[in-house]
Amino acid sequence: MRVAYWPGCVSRGFTPELHGSMAKVAPLLDIELIELDRAACCGAGVIAEHNQELADTLNARTFALAQRTDGELMMNICSTCQGAQSECQERLDANTEYRERVNQNLADEGLRYEKGLTNKNFLWLLVEEIGLEALRARVKRPLSNLRVGPFYGCYIVRPVDRLGIDSERPRDRYLHWVIEALGGTVIDYAGVYKCCGFPIITMNKQASLAQAGRHLGDALDAQADCLVVPCPLCHLNLDMQQPGAAKVVGRDLGMPVLHLPQLVGLALGLSPKELGMTKHIVKPTSVIDWSTAVVAGTDDTAVGARRVA
Amino acid sequence: MPAYTLRIRRFDPQSGEAPHWDEHTVEMPETQSVLDAILKVRDEVDGSVGIRCSCQQAICGSCGVRMNGKPGLACNTHLGEAAERGHGVGWNPPEEGQVAPVIAVEPMGNMPVIRDLIVDMDAVHWKKIRRVTPWLVNQQPVPEREYIVPHENMVDVTQTMACIQCGACVSDCLAMEVDPLFVGPAALAKAYRFVGDPRDAQHRERLQDLAEDEHGIYDCTHCFNCIDACPKGVDPMSQIMRLRRRAGSDYEIEDRNNGYRHEHAFVNNIRRNGLLHEADLLPDSYGGKFNPRAVPELIGALPTAMTALRRGKMTPKTALGHPHKAPAEVKRIFEKVEGRSGRVELNLYVTGYEDEPEATGGGQRETATAAEPNAQGRPESVGAGERQPAAESLDADAVASETGTTEGETR
Amino acid sequence: MPNQDVLIIGAGLAGQRAALAAAQAGATVGIISKVHPVRSHSVAAAGGINAALNPEDTWESHAFDTVKGSDYLGDQDAIEVMCREAPGEILWLEHAGVTFHRNETGHLGTRAFGGASAARTYYVADITGHAILHVLYEQLMKHSTQVDSYEEWFTTDLLQDDDGRCIGAICRNLRDGHLEVFNAKAVILATGGCGQAYKPTTNGLIVTGDGIAQAYRIGAKLMDMEMVQYHPTTLAGNGLLITEGARGEGAWLLNAEGDRFMERYAPNKLELASRDVVSRAEQTEINEGHGFPDGTVALDITKVPRRRTLEALREIVNIGRDFAGVDITREPIHIRPGQHYIMGGVKTDVDGQTTIPGLYAAGEVACVSVHGGNRLGANSLLDTLIFGRRSGEHSAARAIQTSMPATPATRVADAERYIAAIINRDGGGRRVAAIKHELGETMNQYAAVFRDAEGLATAHEIIRRLKEEAPRATVDDRGSVFNQDVIGAIELGYMLDCAEAIVIAAEERKESRGAQFRTDFPKRNDDVWLKHIDVTVNGADVPEVSYSPVTITKWEPQERTY
Repeated sequence: MRVAYWPGCVSRGFTPELHGSMAKVAPLLDIELIELDRAACCGAGVIAEHNQELADTLNARTFALAQRTDGELMMNICSTCQGAQSECQERLDANTEYRERVNQNLADEGLRYEKGLTNKNFLWLLVEEIGLEALRARVKRPLSNLRVGPFYGCYIVRPVDRLGIDSERPRDRYLHWVIEALGGTVIDYAGVYKCCGFPIITMNKQASLAQAGRHLGDALDAQADCLVVPCPLCHLNLDMQQPGAAKVVGRDLGMPVLHLPQLVGLALGLSPKELGMTKHIVKPTSVIDWSTAVVAGTDDTAVGARRVA
Repeated sequence: MPAYTLRIRRFDPQSGEAPHWDEHTVEMPETQSVLDAILKVRDEVDGSVGIRCSCQQAICGSCGVRMNGKPGLACNTHLGEAAERGHGVGWNPPEEGQVAPVIAVEPMGNMPVIRDLIVDMDAVHWKKIRRVTPWLVNQQPVPEREYIVPHENMVDVTQTMACIQCGACVSDCLAMEVDPLFVGPAALAKAYRFVGDPRDAQHRERLQDLAEDEHGIYDCTHCFNCIDACPKGVDPMSQIMRLRRRAGSDYEIEDRNNGYRHEHAFVNNIRRNGLLHEADLLPDSYGGKFNPRAVPELIGALPTAMTALRRGKMTPKTALGHPHKAPAEVKRIFEKVEGRSGRVELNLYVTGYEDEPEATGGGQRETATAAEPNAQGRPESVGAGERQPAAESLDADAVASETGTTEGETR
Repeated sequence: MPNQDVLIIGAGLAGQRAALAAAQAGATVGIISKVHPVRSHSVAAAGGINAALNPEDTWESHAFDTVKGSDYLGDQDAIEVMCREAPGEILWLEHAGVTFHRNETGHLGTRAFGGASAARTYYVADITGHAILHVLYEQLMKHSTQVDSYEEWFTTDLLQDDDGRCIGAICRNLRDGHLEVFNAKAVILATGGCGQAYKPTTNGLIVTGDGIAQAYRIGAKLMDMEMVQYHPTTLAGNGLLITEGARGEGAWLLNAEGDRFMERYAPNKLELASRDVVSRAEQTEINEGHGFPDGTVALDITKVPRRRTLEALREIVNIGRDFAGVDITREPIHIRPGQHYIMGGVKTDVDGQTTIPGLYAAGEVACVSVHGGNRLGANSLLDTLIFGRRSGEHSAARAIQTSMPATPATRVADAERYIAAIINRDGGGRRVAAIKHELGETMNQYAAVFRDAEGLATAHEIIRRLKEEAPRATVDDRGSVFNQDVIGAIELGYMLDCAEAIVIAAEERKESRGAQFRTDFPKRNDDVWLKHIDVTVNGADVPEVSYSPVTITKWEPQERTY
């Protein structure tokens, strides 16, 4: 399928391995990415906090660019983009007068947003468009014995009404389902739906890192080998800031954190290095060891053994 | 009639026993409330189950509890809905072999438990409410008759006035979980009730106070838990964002918590670059690379930056340079929208949704049409089309920089 | 042992308004409530508050509407006081911060309400009571140095000295179960009505007639107890209230045949006739087979523009959705008359003084009587505030001339024994909830919209039996931290007292007036019954009936049509 692809900012800045791994995984899933490289930052809620119309206009522009492509829908790879864009879209779609006002701001550029865009995070697309069966069928190296803790990020699970989460579309279970479909073991721990703390890292570093540290520690206690996140901002706090978080919570953490496309890519046969995992601040040793063991055909319980030891 | 396994968290400080679960099977229609089920147990089986409750219509705010892990009012949560939360919509998967779905009812979080489902609201919730000067400080002179106020304005503050002080938002506030001193969602919504009220004389003082407090408006982590928790549509987090907007944009309050600087650094970063340049954001949020406040932060970040450079996560180019090109159009949008004298805010609480609530985030079934080929497609208009990422570029950095050199303004 | 000039029991609108007024008058004030003040049932008042504040409106017009609404049983001197002081009270509330909705010029907006000849109901969407209650609590927090608030304390006894003067109360701290004597120069009861004696009712679980029964037990006169209001629009089953504001905004009532039946019962005011008239019309339609199978008729709010409903009737949109599964902006909702309010209560004068010296009452617990046989919608909030304030002011003035009383320590020991006896009951009795349930259904069957001698006698008989069963009712909870079980057992006794007084007064009044419709005496009879019925109880728990005159100032009784 062809999708209008919005990679977001951070996937091309501090977490280049996210954008890179998505680019490598997409063809393996027959996804054609039409990159929206002229679109602007979603505002991450901060621009909306500053000026709502400004944020809504920037995102309406992104939506309009997406609607101009021949993609079936728009796809993002960042929970924060999903949440911030859904919030703007909710307002744009709810009120014609307001939408017209925002469209006026785009008129100079010859752009216009029409109500009713479909914008899905890669996670949602995996389950709803590609399907878990199809995903399972493409798995080359099941993540057997890899114990993966899902970390959704706030923006992709709340508010449930705005994001269209209900019993028919339990999008807050999708990460669990995808891990299972890839052959991995889901680790439920206290932090699954909690906040990584990133939004307040510059305002209250202590509280921010206390959040990251607590969830990482909980995952560690639940004996996860790694976490997987559909949000690069969560990755910043959970991976890049992990050394600081460890200091705040006063314990060794060393918890690898993977981007969702990296986890998918791993199961589809790509190597950790190809997926940019070597770029992480916290070396995903457990994952690399697992991968090496699987590729080498050695005992695939190696990871579990190492973890317990 | 459906049966439910009602599991009630019990705690009696006099018993000397640890908190434990009591289990009852209740047979009731799925549209009856969780409170109905609890009261049935209390009325018919065990009169000692402690829960505050009165109105049974979601207005007195007494019966805030957690049901299958989610906070809310027991009286307006249907049994079917509460049980369904155990079937996928997060939090509490059903147990194997359980015939009657489990509804686990616990006291709210972030507050000490007094007895069973009764928490100490005074120790946390009301203390925080009192923190925000929770009464009108009248604009002087007080008119002989009423203050003349636009209708829309009163409807707007009715959103925060609609708060029933049930504590559900406080229960699951993730910022409060790590920072118990955080003023929190309910109290900050209460603060907006005055900041948004034109009859109040102390908007600036209130905003200054809450911006300067290191546990104030900038301590919220945007987790949206309070929005989902609130049974009355108060949207506490949205009110906190409005407080920030008023503080940062209307009153230009430069707080010591970097809230103002972070917001302005972020906005300017996008204005300048179109996309976020994280390497600038950090120092700018502390007042600029050479600001004394920024220096310790930057030095603190150095080891991580060195690791990132060493591992190839950042290149000197991505870390210090600006590979993205911002289209001039983005800059024009900033000029256009920010150049206007007034700010426009659409509050869906006030305006409601046209017709049925519309699809957002692909969230609604009505967007099924979007799955049809070209459903998103619109005629090409002026301007360059989109390009595919360089499929051959196996190096993630290459993808990033490649896409950065598209048409648009060169810095 | 706290000592206060003025002790207020109950912290709804009347109680909080009294506290603020007494404090402002210079008294030291304590306010006690068995729930946190914002949980008080005033919070559920929806539609609005009446006042002739518009320059085109007059207090006399408001007063006449109230007199007519009362079916001429209201005391006109009291009604004059209430209506004359109403505009000032609205402005006081506005200045205190109530977010009253505005009209297009930014002035206070109004909506139409039942039985009123002008649109004089001021409102905050359909959460008016909630908004006012929370603003009063804001003021209480502001004045926390002048008013001591005792939240979650349950009053077990009113104290009297040897001369019969009320000198305070004994209260139990629900947090730890300890009892405390509160000495006071004056006590104001503001505990609300007794709706829980009925099932279903629009009233919250805390509305158990505590103050009415406590005053009655120490010899105060109750008045107009037979006058129990059935609200025309309550949900079938759970009895939840759909605000009269819906009809004020233009909603219609339809029977199962789609007939707008109010055209036949009240051709001029239609849906906005007074509540007793509308409730009777609905019940007649239902009884004559024109209702729906679930014993209801329909309220059609789709007549109101959707945007207006979402803005001004938001709460009932939620109630419809959450409690009836109906989108009221799209389809009619099934409703029926349901117990809502008691016009009667502890007899007081216009300053809130009861027949017991030192004891005041204000709000639904009291009977001034401004509502007489039937209360107009949006007059109850007004009643609570006007007479709450007046009680506060009067009791504060009285306190200045009075010395602080002292309570003999033995009284606490008595109260402790009383509670301990309940907690230590050996079981074997019926469950409290079962007795309460039987009481509620009995009242709803025999002391409802239509009554007759036979039914009332049956009800009385059942109540006497329940009064014998209640003291043996089972109590499970033996603890002292938040023992709600023991409170429930005490409240049951209060409800039974209230119910008995209601039934006795209803049996006594052999005519039809206001909310009292006797099918065996279907006409109003001014010659015999233009008078209040008072009920007192002597030491042997035997109720006695007496009468007091209705005060008529300007408005002679006329035939009542809408």
